[in-house]
Amino acid sequence: MSEALKGKGADNGGTAAGVGGSRSSGSGNGAWQPLIVAFCCNWCSYAGGDLAGTSRLSYPANVRVIRVTCSSRVNPLHVMRAFQRGADGVLIAGCHPGDCHYTSGNYHARRRFSIFARLLEHAGLEPERFQVRWISSSEGDRFAEVMQEMTETIKALGPNERWVDPRWLKIT
Amino acid sequence: MAQDNLNRDQATARIRAAVTQDLLSGRISLLLGWQKGLFWWRSRPLFARSQQDLERLVWDSFCAVNLSRYLPEELSIEERVGILVKGCDARAFHRLLQDRMLDRERVLLYGLPCPGMLDYRLLAEAGVKEAEQMLEEGEELVIQTGGGEERRPRTDFLLEKCRLCPHPDPVVYDQLLLPPGEPWMDPASRFQDLEARERPTPAERYAYWSGELQRCLSCYACRQVCPACSCRECFAEQQEPRWLGKGAGLNENMLFHIIRVYHGAGRCIECGECQRACPVGIPLLELSRRLAKDIEELYGPYEAGMDPEAPPPLLTYRPEDPAAFPEK
Repeated sequence: MSEALKGKGADNGGTAAGVGGSRSSGSGNGAWQPLIVAFCCNWCSYAGGDLAGTSRLSYPANVRVIRVTCSSRVNPLHVMRAFQRGADGVLIAGCHPGDCHYTSGNYHARRRFSIFARLLEHAGLEPERFQVRWISSSEGDRFAEVMQEMTETIKALGPNERWVDPRWLKIT
Repeated sequence: MAQDNLNRDQATARIRAAVTQDLLSGRISLLLGWQKGLFWWRSRPLFARSQQDLERLVWDSFCAVNLSRYLPEELSIEERVGILVKGCDARAFHRLLQDRMLDRERVLLYGLPCPGMLDYRLLAEAGVKEAEQMLEEGEELVIQTGGGEERRPRTDFLLEKCRLCPHPDPVVYDQLLLPPGEPWMDPASRFQDLEARERPTPAERYAYWSGELQRCLSCYACRQVCPACSCRECFAEQQEPRWLGKGAGLNENMLFHIIRVYHGAGRCIECGECQRACPVGIPLLELSRRLAKDIEELYGPYEAGMDPEAPPPLLTYRPEDPAAFPEK
């Protein structure tokens, strides 16, 4: 988390830090492990992650959580940047519709990312690689489940090759 | 298809007469129109400030350039601007108006019902290389080829953006200079061709788009001509954070185009200027149209630039909206 934030201020606008490890973090035996970037809304999904932690639920370490103020804070450029720098999947998680801390943020996010998901699909991304989910702060179990499910889906798909910036592949 | 009994020279003369009066009387200080370019199959924008300038004005089958894009810039210098608007220029005007880029009171719109503009590439394929080889007779083109004379319907040679256009007549104007025509495309069926061009798997879609976008020169002409691209600072040039490097690698090209299309989502008037302006022939309109189709499917019928009071779909929401991802 803190590493991700540090990376943001560096030379780029996005989700650089923590991403570079995807191709080398092979848990010792060199096996490929997917890297999933999860943008979690501060008020619901991130708190849901906290609850998962305090409830001692485990979820795969492939997921790197980036805390954002609201699901509608996420810019599609953040998603593209994550793919460019080696993410194999990107997840945006926010409050359930109707529960937004800012009243309407997730309603806007729903329209925006529905459309953006379709656009990525038209451009050739496997639809499973970009996901949006609603997770409330009381759904620690759902948080762990979603992360588990996403990791398994991406594992089955294999490494992402779309829009990867070759310059970042060398840095691992 | 829309066509009046006037031939193009008579129509040009009528337009010239109408605008000359307003320009000389000082009602407008600048007129945006078209003049002939370097080639007979190109008409480029004309910025007329005097009667002399107006002599170069033309209204022919190649006035494809969308003039509204020039308005915000010109209105920063000029007091009152007159502009010739076809269907797409008029919708672009609405687009800019809705984005608060324009002052409606300072623009005088001369409406021109559009018969659709011709695509030189298609003409050249049919053997037309010189202006003399082609004669327009109402709905038909008379083409002189080595073997003799050939008559072909004009619709065979329209630019893609014109072939697909559901609103050739201007949707907003102060004065209509030519008689209105008949539209040839039903708005509800304007996406039919996309189904025929469906590419079923992600791998096929990626192969197609990476093949096309590989050619992108990063000239950003598609953005410069776009009436929906009105940001003062584009993400492509933003320094902090810096989204795009100076290289034109495939991943950066695709990032640029995906985000460019996304920024136009629900705002794109489908005027196809991006595709017409592209120097390397990338079918850019298709991505924007696929997105417009998705928006209609998910959030109901919407045509950008038709009604400046109707909020663009991505700037509004309903609590009961559907989503393109599982919500439970």
